[in-house]
Amino acid sequence: MDLFNPYNLQVITFIVLNGILAISIYITLATGQLSLGHAGFMSIGAYMASILTKQADAPLLIALIAGGLFAGLIALLIGAPTLKLHGLYLAIATLGFGEVVRVIFLNLEITNGALGLTGLPSIGSSLYDRIKGLGLNADTFGLSVLEIKAALTLLFLVLLFAVVLFLTLRLHRSRIGRAFEAIKADETAARAMGLPVAYYKMLAFVLGAVLAGICGGLFAHITTTITPDDFNYHKVVEILSFAVIGGSEVVWGPLFGALILTSLPEVLRAVAEYKMIMYGAIMVLVMAFRPHGLIGADTFARLFRRRKKTPSQQAEEGM
Amino acid sequence: MFWQQLVNGLTVGSTYSLIAIGYTLIFGVLGIINMAHGQIFIFGSLVGLYLITEVEMPLGIAFLTAIIVSAVLGLILEYTALRPLRKKNVPHLASLISTIGFAILVEEAMHKLFGADSRAVPVSLGSEMYDLGVVQVRGVDLIILTVSLVLMFVLHFWINRTKMGKAIRATAENNETASILGINTNMVIVATVVIASALGGVAGSLIGLAYSALIPSMGLNLGFKGLAVLILGGVGSITGAMVCGILLGIAEVFSVAYGDSSYRDAVAFGLIILILLFRPQGLFGRKV
Repeated sequence: MDLFNPYNLQVITFIVLNGILAISIYITLATGQLSLGHAGFMSIGAYMASILTKQADAPLLIALIAGGLFAGLIALLIGAPTLKLHGLYLAIATLGFGEVVRVIFLNLEITNGALGLTGLPSIGSSLYDRIKGLGLNADTFGLSVLEIKAALTLLFLVLLFAVVLFLTLRLHRSRIGRAFEAIKADETAARAMGLPVAYYKMLAFVLGAVLAGICGGLFAHITTTITPDDFNYHKVVEILSFAVIGGSEVVWGPLFGALILTSLPEVLRAVAEYKMIMYGAIMVLVMAFRPHGLIGADTFARLFRRRKKTPSQQAEEGM
Repeated sequence: MFWQQLVNGLTVGSTYSLIAIGYTLIFGVLGIINMAHGQIFIFGSLVGLYLITEVEMPLGIAFLTAIIVSAVLGLILEYTALRPLRKKNVPHLASLISTIGFAILVEEAMHKLFGADSRAVPVSLGSEMYDLGVVQVRGVDLIILTVSLVLMFVLHFWINRTKMGKAIRATAENNETASILGINTNMVIVATVVIASALGGVAGSLIGLAYSALIPSMGLNLGFKGLAVLILGGVGSITGAMVCGILLGIAEVFSVAYGDSSYRDAVAFGLIILILLFRPQGLFGRKV
């Protein structure tokens, strides 16, 4: 298999992009809030970034950040009333939010309605222009222009993913992360302990939205075309299933889910006709046999315990 | 014009009510939202439509088949996606996901069996017009209104007056206590899921009559409307589901008649966001 085949590279790029999306839903779920509005935030980020790059000729990086921040701003606005809701109420309200956003984008002039925006600058091209400015071109690496563009896109995403993952792991171990965990475990108890629960829930909601918005911008500038339908209910289900099938207790769960569910359609291309059937069956089966997801908090602990069992380590575990 | 739109809204709304009652019953008893409801009843209705167009069965039998198929699908849902999760201590997210998975399966089955295209309902039934003074009503509108209203009253009576209804209400109140007091809660749950799905089957068939067409993807769209009504009426309130379904139908029809038709599908969720802001427990819900 030719690794530098642009198609393969793009598949891996989407796995990484979905990895970032998985982190975005993980952060919101970390406080026990089930948000079905991530596709909505993604579309807000995507349209914001696309309009900036296409109509205002803004630099790509600025546009991506602006898209993320704008999605976060909207999350802040709709979060104030909706975060008072719990469980399924929140789920339906955010699902409704996503649908309203989609219908609005279908009808606005600046978003070009159902046809969507096309001809957006691609990340690969703009990065390639950048390195050409440094006096390098495709021949330097012995690759075709298409290949180098795909490789650059992937490189950019992997770097971004690494940064986001690093920050998430840091967040998880910080005071904020522990607060999130406390709220997820028992909101009432957390409040009784004096945690500003509303503040932390809002923080998780907005952080998730910002990340989703950035992913939207990335998605738009990888595919170079977006329509409101790219962010419909099916996208919601896809993002949610990363977390639910992979497991939402540790960040590795959603990442594993994103890896499996994004690569599965490629692996199963021979039986592509039955792809969705398998997808549905997997969801039902995983919930029946491992309702906390494939990777739980105990998975790694069990793995590591089996591997090494020196007395000092046991003492550490006991602490 | 106004009265005419009101009647149209009432007709559409009464089918929304039937859909929403399906959600409400299952939520009340099981505490979960059945995301496969829409797909289940459209599947049933499509089978009914298939019998009419391909096998040329009489309307009544096809209608009955639609209801039975929906009910059977509900039964399958209960045994595959709901029951395995019930015994274990699972996050409430899990049942939502397994019903979404089931919905995908049903949707795919529909595409394989019936294709993704819109299928016309070739029934000339009810195309005649009745002049009722201020409004003209199609025969089919009268059928839809009558069937849904009668069903709603029967259901209301059944839930409030019969032994089975009492068992359902007890299980909804507290599953464990009900089972300690000798109610076969498993049986109640099965009955609830089946009745909810069958009601959906009725709604789907009526919608097919109203629009004179059925599309597999309607399940998702109508399911969303039902969910919106569920929240509007107050989760778990059957009266709320009935009244708010009709309200939503009227609101939609008016938004098309007096506003921009392209925003029709946003009306339901726009209302949800408003209601959640001002009365989070829904119009008919109890204060939590």
